[in-house]
Amino acid sequence: MSRAYQIRVSESVVRTVHVEDGVASPLDLLPILPPDRMGDLLGHELEQRGFARDGHTATRTDLDGIVITVDLATAMVTVKLGAKADVAETIDLTARVGNVQAGEAALRDDAIRQLDDRIADRTEQLRREVTKKLEDKLADIRRELDEAIGRTTVAALTERANQLGSIQEIAEDEAGNVTIRVKV
Amino acid sequence: MTDDAADIADLADLADPLADLPKVAHSERNLIAMARALVAPAREDVAPMLWGSRDMPKLIGPTAEQLIHDALSHAWPALWRRGHCAPDASLSGDGETVRRGRAWERHRPTPLTFSNATLLLLRWLVATPFSASRTSYQHLRAQTLTVGDEVALYLALDASAGTPAQAALAAQPFAYGSALAWLGFAHLMPPPTGPVDFRTLTAGAGAIVVESLAPELAARWRAVELTKRKLIGADKLIALGASQDATLDAFQAACDRAHRRDLALFVVDAIAPLLARDLAPAPPPLDSQVSLSARSAARLAAGSLIRALLRWRDWDAQHRATRFVDDGYAAAQHLLGRYEVIGIPGGDRAAAWLADLSALAPSATVTNPREPA
Repeated sequence: MSRAYQIRVSESVVRTVHVEDGVASPLDLLPILPPDRMGDLLGHELEQRGFARDGHTATRTDLDGIVITVDLATAMVTVKLGAKADVAETIDLTARVGNVQAGEAALRDDAIRQLDDRIADRTEQLRREVTKKLEDKLADIRRELDEAIGRTTVAALTERANQLGSIQEIAEDEAGNVTIRVKV
Repeated sequence: MTDDAADIADLADLADPLADLPKVAHSERNLIAMARALVAPAREDVAPMLWGSRDMPKLIGPTAEQLIHDALSHAWPALWRRGHCAPDASLSGDGETVRRGRAWERHRPTPLTFSNATLLLLRWLVATPFSASRTSYQHLRAQTLTVGDEVALYLALDASAGTPAQAALAAQPFAYGSALAWLGFAHLMPPPTGPVDFRTLTAGAGAIVVESLAPELAARWRAVELTKRKLIGADKLIALGASQDATLDAFQAACDRAHRRDLALFVVDAIAPLLARDLAPAPPPLDSQVSLSARSAARLAAGSLIRALLRWRDWDAQHRATRFVDDGYAAAQHLLGRYEVIGIPGGDRAAAWLADLSALAPSATVTNPREPA
C-alpha cells in the first residue's frame, strides 16, 4: 500500500518590469516655405514652449514623464510614456502526493506558472495606468502643437510676404486670424 | 423494319423519355449542381449544398466532365450580368485609346480557361461538411490558377456568403494564391505575408473579369468600409487594414504599370457615396483596455480605402496636367470625367478624414459621425 505525503512548495520572484505606450502622428504643416525652413521655424516655435532641439529633433519631457518628440524634417510627432516598477510576488502551494519527488516538481512548475501569470497581470495593470495617463494628456498636447503649428504658419507667411514685397501691416483679430498687407 | 416494329420502337421511346439524357453518378451530380450554382446563383441555391457532405470518388466520368465544362462555359455571361451589362469604357493596354460600349462590344471574345484546380475546388465544396467543426475540414492546397479558376473561386466565395464555408474557403492556401480573391474579399483574408501579384488581372481575360465585376467590387468594398464604424476590436481593425492596404496598394501599382488605371475605378465608385453622405470609416471608441499604440494603429488601419483614393487624387492631378498634344490625352480625359464625382473637394475631405484617423487625439466630429439612414 502506498503512502500519501503532504508537500508544501514556496516560491517567490522579484522582477523589474518596464512598460511603454505611445502614439505617432503627422503634423499638418503647410508647405509655405521649403521643408527645411518650415522645420526650422517649427523648431524655433517649439523651443519657446520648452522643447530642446538636437539637429532635426525637438524633444520635451514633461514632469509626469511624458516625452514629446517632434521630427522637424518629417513633421512627425511621437508622444510616449514609460514606467518601470519592481514587482514582487510570493506563492505557497500544498498538495497530497504519492511520489514526493515527482509531486514536488509538478507543484513547483505550477507555482512558477502561477507566479508568471501574476507578474503578467501586474505588468498589464501598470501598462493600463500608463495608457490612461497618456490618454488624459493627448488632447492638451494636440492643442499645444496645433497652436505651435499656427504660429509657425504665421511666421512662414510673414517670411514669404517679405520675399514678395515690403510688409505694410500685420493685423491679428481675436479669433487668431492674421492679415498681412504687402506692398509689392 | 415493318410498320409494327417501328411503332413498337416509337412506343418504347415514349415510355422512357429520359433515355437520351446523360447519365452520371450521384456524387458527380453534386459536382455539376455546384458548378451550375456558382455560375447562376439566382437559379440554384448554394447554401443547402454546402451544409451536407459527400464522399467524392477520385475520378469523374467523361459525361460529368462535359457537363461541368458546359456549366462553366456560361461564366462570361454570368460575369457580365454581375456588372449589370451596362455600357462603360475601357482603356487600351497602351493607355492611348478608350473603347466604349458593353463588355462584349469593347472586347474581342477571350476564352476563359478552367484547369483541374476548378475541379479540386468543386470537389472540396461538395465534400467538406461545413455544418461540422472547422477542424474537420480538409485543406485545399495552393494550386497554379488560371483566370477561369480564379473566377470559379471568386464565385464560390460570393455564393457562400453568410455560411461558414466562406470564411473557411478564404482561409485556404488555394484562395491565398488568387489575386481575384484578394481583390474581391480582402476583408476575409489573413494579412498577406508577401506582395500579392495582380499582373494577371490587368491584362487579357483577367482585366475583362475585373471590368465586369467593378460594380460588385465597389459595392462590397463600400459595405466593408461601413462595418469599420462598428468594429471595436483593435486587432481586427489592424488585420483588416493590413489586408486591404496590401491589396489596394499592389493592385493600383499593377494597374498603373499596365496603363490600366481604369480598372481601379471601383475605389472611386466605392467611396463616392460615403463622401457624399460624410460617412468616414472612423471606428467607434476602441476598447480602452488596449494600449494607445494599438488603438492608434487600428484607427490608421481603418483608412485603407481612403489611402487608395488619395492615390487616385494624385493620379487625377496628373490627368489634369495632360495636354491635348500629350500622349494618353483621351485616357486622361476619360479618367478625369470618372473622377469628377469625387473632385477636388471630395479628395480634400478624404485627406481630412485620414488626417483625423492619424491624429494624436481624434476630433469629436469624426469619431461620432452620423449613422447611415
